[in-house]
Amino acid sequence: MSETIAVIGGGPAGLEAARGLAELGGSVVLIEKENFLGGTPIRENYAALTPHLESAEVAMGRMIDAVREQPGVEVLLEHTVTACAGDAPEFRLTVSGPGGEREIECGGIIVATGFEHFDPGRETQMYGYYEHPDVLALQDLEAMLKEHNVVRPSTGLPPERICFVQCVGSRDRQIGNEYCSKVCCGVASKEAIEVRQQLPDCKVFIFYIDMRMYGYWENQIYWPAQEEYHVQYVKGIITEVLKKGDKLLVRGEDTTMGRPMEVPMDMVILSVGMEPSAGTRSMSRILGIEPNKYGFIEVLNPPLDTVSTSRRGIWACGASLGPADLEDCASSGAAAAMKALAFVRRKTVAVG
Amino acid sequence: MTMTNDRSAFYKNRQVAGYADVPFEEKQRLIDLVKADMRFPDYLYGCYECGICVAACPSARFYDFSPRRIAQAAARDDTELMYQQMQEDVWECSQCFSCVRCPRGNNPGGIITVLREVAVNAGLASAREALEGYSRIIYKIMSTGTQVSPDMLQPDAFPDWGPEVKDVSDNLDMWRRALPPETLHTTSTGWDVDEKTLLELYLIWFHTGALDMIAEVDEGLHMILQEVMEERLEDAGVEV
Amino acid sequence: MPIPVEALLKKKEHFERGPHDRRSEDFHHELFELEEQGEWIVQRAPEPIVPVNTKFGNVKKVPKAHLWHHKSCGQCGHIPGYSTSIFWVMRKLGYDYTDPRDQTSCTAWNYYASATSNAAAQAAVAIRNFATAYESGFFPLIHCGTSYGHYKEVREELLKHPELRAQVREIMGKLNKPMVMPEEIVHYSEWFYALKDEIAAKQVRDFSGIAATVHPACHYYKLVEGDAIYDADVYGGQRTAIVTGVAEALGAEVRNYSTWFDCCGFGFRHILVQRDFTRSFATLRKIERMKEEADPDVVLTHDTGCVTTLDKSQFAAMAHGRNVGVPVMSEAQFAALAMGAHPYKVCQLHWHSADYRPLLEKMGIDWEAAWAEFQQDLKRLEAGEKQYLTWDDVG
Repeated sequence: MSETIAVIGGGPAGLEAARGLAELGGSVVLIEKENFLGGTPIRENYAALTPHLESAEVAMGRMIDAVREQPGVEVLLEHTVTACAGDAPEFRLTVSGPGGEREIECGGIIVATGFEHFDPGRETQMYGYYEHPDVLALQDLEAMLKEHNVVRPSTGLPPERICFVQCVGSRDRQIGNEYCSKVCCGVASKEAIEVRQQLPDCKVFIFYIDMRMYGYWENQIYWPAQEEYHVQYVKGIITEVLKKGDKLLVRGEDTTMGRPMEVPMDMVILSVGMEPSAGTRSMSRILGIEPNKYGFIEVLNPPLDTVSTSRRGIWACGASLGPADLEDCASSGAAAAMKALAFVRRKTVAVG
Repeated sequence: MTMTNDRSAFYKNRQVAGYADVPFEEKQRLIDLVKADMRFPDYLYGCYECGICVAACPSARFYDFSPRRIAQAAARDDTELMYQQMQEDVWECSQCFSCVRCPRGNNPGGIITVLREVAVNAGLASAREALEGYSRIIYKIMSTGTQVSPDMLQPDAFPDWGPEVKDVSDNLDMWRRALPPETLHTTSTGWDVDEKTLLELYLIWFHTGALDMIAEVDEGLHMILQEVMEERLEDAGVEV
Repeated sequence: MPIPVEALLKKKEHFERGPHDRRSEDFHHELFELEEQGEWIVQRAPEPIVPVNTKFGNVKKVPKAHLWHHKSCGQCGHIPGYSTSIFWVMRKLGYDYTDPRDQTSCTAWNYYASATSNAAAQAAVAIRNFATAYESGFFPLIHCGTSYGHYKEVREELLKHPELRAQVREIMGKLNKPMVMPEEIVHYSEWFYALKDEIAAKQVRDFSGIAATVHPACHYYKLVEGDAIYDADVYGGQRTAIVTGVAEALGAEVRNYSTWFDCCGFGFRHILVQRDFTRSFATLRKIERMKEEADPDVVLTHDTGCVTTLDKSQFAAMAHGRNVGVPVMSEAQFAALAMGAHPYKVCQLHWHSADYRPLLEKMGIDWEAAWAEFQQDLKRLEAGEKQYLTWDDVG
């Protein structure tokens, strides 16, 4: 029986799990489908992480280096898991990569396949993401912020008025994503601050249903956004974005003032929520672990056990479980590592 | 200071939602009817108070009307406010259902439909007032099976629609005969409806209680309708 | 490495709805299940069928022929060129149909205006009409946008509430009619969309110089939004494709404006007894915006109420010096004109209010001569030569 633990996914959660396992003397195979580590923050060119505005590349770089430094971690880039045979503690994972197929024997598996951003084309409201060049999503703006090159795609010029629209693809019974994606309020506010830093003459608005600023985010992001950077928060979400002349007209209700509003913007940024990634969906299928009704991995005994799946010997962490911020990823990655290692070393593992 | 059980100072001021003369029990009775309607659970979940419905609503731009306040009042179980809305707001809705894009799945326009039905059934004066001048349409639908007809295009009924209305009414008979579809040569109905069909429509309204609602809106109209239709039913040999 | 704007734009070029969209659940499953349980008969859409895409990816069947024309009160009563054009185009394409006298109004205009009705009455009216179509062997084609949206609502309520079905069944029993639901509820504009290539193949007038704006009816695409036609080639599949699909197939240029999703302001009750609301909305939010931003030759829509509202509201507004004055018609009349229909004998434009003559001139139609021809026909009717204008008379 192998004591190797397979970690599927090399994003924040997977990296934390891999490093933690290796630090404890475990043997890890880290399987990542892209040809780089770092997950979504690197793939989507995130500029700065919420809330401290540290460069995503630098922060993730630290995590990646920490993993690479560990002797017990074998990193397989450009590999995906295509089959799983056997049962805990004797799994046989088939992985496929540029060199062909290979079988990995492991005693435990940690799923860290993360999320993907909601596709705004599926949104109930009429935001025109596929119609208007100047309607973008949070990750699109991240990419621009990273390059210090925030411009209107239609003109190539910097915007004078930019707005964020919250809850796109989340909290919607019709779409079926009946959950809050947790980070978008913080991320949008962070991006708003970055825009104000890079373009001091640009007016920035955030249209929201509720501002979700958990814990310390309240005064790390929300208060400075309003007080130092004069980002304008309007309680009233937008329903339509249409073109008028060379501007975009956004339509909503200023609910606290109790009147319909129609205002011109140069750019509209949709705060898209999180959905299970293709990797999360396929791992759920291939590994035979129960998804919840949204397609994320179901956890067996919430809230005190955050990582055990429906199948013995398999744990999940990070955004494969549902909307997660970076602290969640780091914490659940570590929790999964701890439980997996204890399991393969034949110690009892408490569940919940 | 005397300790008494008089807590009237703490009660919400009835004047805020109006209709202080209507007993609360009566208001509650009507609102309970709204909530008991089969469709109500499909129309109201919770409310984010986000304003998407107002942003999409044409009536919100013209009147002091808000589908959000309709959903909020219902979600908050605010009987007084719902009653006020039943009296004052519901007839401003244009029933376009732009509001069904609600992320919670609410249907404020649908809530309003149910509020209106309860108002009509209860014979509220505000409902009758809102439907003044409208009852000719009810007569048209019930007596012909179509909701509007070409002979309704009279210049004094639609002066703002332009001079063509007068042209139509001056040439009505000829212009209707100049229509190729065989069913459209009528002037007092939209199209030529079979007698049997008309009676079936009447029977549907009779059996579902819709006819009784007409009595609440316009009693005189209801009487005429009943007389006319029951005669026709008799002629057709149908027992009611 | 810089992220060029091009990369972002490329990402946004093409939308494809993934397989995990929950809203792709298909109501047909329940429809047929209830048939198996004996609750009703589902009238199947007859061949030949054109399959079309709806919003969440389900395929809808649009029958080409054997159609039972479920007429519209407002069309037949006030803008009869609309209904006439629908029949005329169907005849020109060679598809059989029946125009029933055994058809009641859907009564939805009354329902939305006055609420002097209830869920059971509305559902019973719908089922009575569906049963009658079924008994005739022809499949219902709904002319009015409100009827269509309302019938979709009724279908949802019947699928969801067994007590409503029981109530309606009792009433149908009294009328000696079976409980019938059609496999699809098809709007005439969906038939026009499905047959747009056949229509374009018979086009004889050049519309390449015609600019149009499209107003989609609220009740068509906002009620039961999954059951409405969307096409990846029209608005990238992000807006409903009817009317625009037909206008573009006929070579017209469809222009955008910033209040596309707005209601026209018909209001059901308002257009009859409180027209200041309707008029304000129609002119300020729709017609003026269209004129300012798109300057169209014609406004096209596909619903009775919308044509009436947008057409009739302009006259009074003109008296107040507003920026109005653009003809309004259905895409049925537009398509008929493209196929060579007579503007008066078929499209019956003399019933319309906003001036359509400049549009006809742009289409290469001598409206003066056409009016004279129509007057000739009227004289023949007056002289008693014939009772009515027939299909043979109108070409």
